[in-house]
Amino acid sequence: MTNIAQARIKREFKEVVKSDEVAACNITLELVDDKYNELIGKIAGPPDTPYAEGTFCLEIRIPETYPFNPPIVKFLTKIWHPNISSVTGAICLDILKDQWAAAMTLRTVLLSLQALLAAAEPDDPQDAVVAQQYKENYSIFEKTAKHWTAVYAGGPKSCPELDSKITSLKNMGFDENQARAALSSKGWDIERATEYLIN
Amino acid sequence: MGNCLKSPNTDDISLLRGSDNGPEVVDPSAVHIGPPPPYQESVPIYHPSPNVSRPANQLTEDEQVKIAQRLGLIHHLPTGVFDGTSKKAKECCICMEEFLLGDMLRFLPCMHTYHKECIDDWLMRSFICPSCLEPVDAALLTTYETS
Repeated sequence: MTNIAQARIKREFKEVVKSDEVAACNITLELVDDKYNELIGKIAGPPDTPYAEGTFCLEIRIPETYPFNPPIVKFLTKIWHPNISSVTGAICLDILKDQWAAAMTLRTVLLSLQALLAAAEPDDPQDAVVAQQYKENYSIFEKTAKHWTAVYAGGPKSCPELDSKITSLKNMGFDENQARAALSSKGWDIERATEYLIN
Repeated sequence: MGNCLKSPNTDDISLLRGSDNGPEVVDPSAVHIGPPPPYQESVPIYHPSPNVSRPANQLTEDEQVKIAQRLGLIHHLPTGVFDGTSKKAKECCICMEEFLLGDMLRFLPCMHTYHKECIDDWLMRSFICPSCLEPVDAALLTTYETS
């Protein structure tokens, strides 16, 4: 890694650790090793959203050309969101792609991701299935996103009805995570989810 | 004077002795057989867009024009040396280091200041100010129109 990338991450790391957002437990940043090219970010789900009270982990990789190129970020915590892949955690956010500017920092990236959780952009989706559900049946989307927050991000227990549907698919021999993904993308219809899992 | 020469002299002698041990023994496996390594020309790498990196000889015609225009425009942006008198500009937002006396700076039309080296590297990728996202060429053109 070039000196400028490493020197900047060192400074940014200190900046985030000292910032007010950390004091409020909104965002945190941890180093994976002492090379300053891999970090783990954590953001709190914004209140009054289906992600409230959840904690979402992010993998942050710093390219050698940082800050001339953006950090490479993806969600490690599974999440149901139109702009984040429910399978890989890949993120669709303009500042992580062509709208990156060298004066942006890891702190601004984490805060932008938090803002993305509060304001999805379903017309610019990363996960087409989630985006379609968001636009066509918001109440099912909300229920599903809350359920995923409860299961994967430590959010509050939400809807026991959804848990029982997953249990019934599990009893049929399907993997729990696969059953959850199938039910989520098929609007929690057990028959359609089963059909999807078999094919 | 004799003092000054004493210690380096003994060092030199010991080095000479080392090389006096008969003819140099060459390890046959270390001899390079076959054609010499291909002639390598160092081709500069350009970034027509922020996430694209290409050696100069692989740029499309449009990209060459873009790069040439940028190189030309960058030279129109004023530069200076940090003398500590400016109260506004204290650190470079790209490398996040504070300006030191004697650092070469470049001033953008939006009044943001960076290290010359840092901002030139950025402007070759994207022609906007990294702080305020103001397009630099648009601002340059309006300065010409009003002046």
